Amino acid sequence: MDIIKLQDVSYYYKTYDDNGAVGQAIGVEGVSLTISEGAFVALVGHNGCGKSTLAKLLNGLLIPQKGTVTVYGLDTADKNNIFEIRKNVGMVFQNPDNQMVASIVEEDVAFGPENLGVPQPEIVERVYSALEQVGMIEYAKRSPHKLSGGQKQRIAIAGALAIKPKIIVFDESTAMLDPQGRKEVLEVANGLKSQGMTVVLITHFMEEVATCDSVVVMSGGHVLKTGTPNEIFNDAELLKNVGLEAPRSVALAQKLKQAGFDVTVENADAQTLGGEVCLNLKKL
Amino acid sequence: MLKDVTFGQYYPANSFVHKMDARIKLLLCLLYMVGIFFVNSFVMFGFITVFLIALIGFSRVPLKSILKSVKGIIFLLLFTVILNIFFNKDGNILVEWKFIVITDGGLIYAAKMFLRLVYLVIGSSVLTLTTTPVDLTHAIESLLKPLRIIKFPAHELALIMSLTLSFIPSLIEETDRIIRAQKARGADFDTGGLVKRVKAFVPILIPLLVGGFRRADELANAMNSRCYEGAKKRTQMRVMKLSWRDLVGTFVSLLFFVTVFVVYGMKSQWINVSWLQYNGINWLYF
Repeated sequence: MDIIKLQDVSYYYKTYDDNGAVGQAIGVEGVSLTISEGAFVALVGHNGCGKSTLAKLLNGLLIPQKGTVTVYGLDTADKNNIFEIRKNVGMVFQNPDNQMVASIVEEDVAFGPENLGVPQPEIVERVYSALEQVGMIEYAKRSPHKLSGGQKQRIAIAGALAIKPKIIVFDESTAMLDPQGRKEVLEVANGLKSQGMTVVLITHFMEEVATCDSVVVMSGGHVLKTGTPNEIFNDAELLKNVGLEAPRSVALAQKLKQAGFDVTVENADAQTLGGEVCLNLKKL
Repeated sequence: MLKDVTFGQYYPANSFVHKMDARIKLLLCLLYMVGIFFVNSFVMFGFITVFLIALIGFSRVPLKSILKSVKGIIFLLLFTVILNIFFNKDGNILVEWKFIVITDGGLIYAAKMFLRLVYLVIGSSVLTLTTTPVDLTHAIESLLKPLRIIKFPAHELALIMSLTLSFIPSLIEETDRIIRAQKARGADFDTGGLVKRVKAFVPILIPLLVGGFRRADELANAMNSRCYEGAKKRTQMRVMKLSWRDLVGTFVSLLFFVTVFVVYGMKSQWINVSWLQYNGINWLYF
């Protein structure tokens, strides 16, 4: 079932030059996209390609100037729908520090359910089950600013989960993290997917995309191609055009294959590729 | 370098005063602050000293941390004392030299003002030393809640305070980063006259301000995404419960404050206390 539908969506930003003249910059233009229930969709593209704009259109933070965005059939342009939509679409942003509303972890996670008017005993229940899902339960009483980037981002995820959304959008949530933090966040994202949640992952790290169901490649506010990770990784021309690179293991597998080795390029990760290379070496 | 700055002065401990409800502590502190201005004799200052010693004892906060807060107002103290000594001309003249006139009335008044200010700071620092800023924020929100009837934005005020508290560490970090970045580009903060030094801070303030707006924008998006719509229908996770400590603490404090007000009343002759006279002087008034 398609739960998010974008139909010919355009959003433009106003720009002002030094003389105060008003101009227009493309956020996204003519984007049509559907996301089905339980899917793990990745949005990739370079800086300024419109992927963050697209994310903000998904929960009504931005309202499209042309076209419509619907979540479970509810139009984001209708103000009466906005809280119902935001209850369903949780969002995690890039900078973990700028998402914290409280100076104690559990109170920060409680912010969402408090806003919804959830009764007190249920808030506690939601907060602790959300913290458990991201593996941060022992930090409940701590102050978030002393935690690592990955831990803070997991708190932000818990904050979104406490609202009990059906879809969770990661708006470049790994961009500011170190490799360890990125790994932590991705593990949580994959865990949520396996629990049946719909996950939208926005990123410019191609390694993160490998486990997704489908990848949407964006450039200059337009969707260039939608496909499985393998289709995207093997489309060398597309990747070159948008300035992205296939993950290293995939690129290596591609080169080995070209050189006549018997390796699978699809879903190549370091471990299986290593095994296959060993088998090839044995044959030599 | 700025990282060492800690906000608030909370002293973690597990004492009677720490465990009291923040709302009660806040109310009692306000009462104390009003009460201290009704204390105007040395006997009563002694009485309040007993109260403070007991309070500090039960809060298990080391005297050193409390006296630290007194250090903060040392200039105000000096200023007040000097002003009162030289400009209060009540009572008998003790010293008269050119334009300087010092009277015993002025000295006594200065001493009382000194004690009053010191006690004011000590009393309120016990509150901030035994209550976390977060608890204080919740207490203020809860106490101001009834004012919602007259459309007073109690929740919004508390939210602003709590956001300020949670953003101080990241803003400090950012300031630190900007200072280092500007120093790396050859900025000089340590030499030159006052004007030059103040001017040197402009390249720190501007990026900090711009960054602050960017943060505010991102935070607003994050709050909106989490269904924030102001105070209406909002619930709270934290429940504040009164315990026997609050009852005992309130009762003891009230006993002291009532005594202070009663003595003030006697001095103002609202209450007849001729039976306390000794040699024509009432000992309570000294």
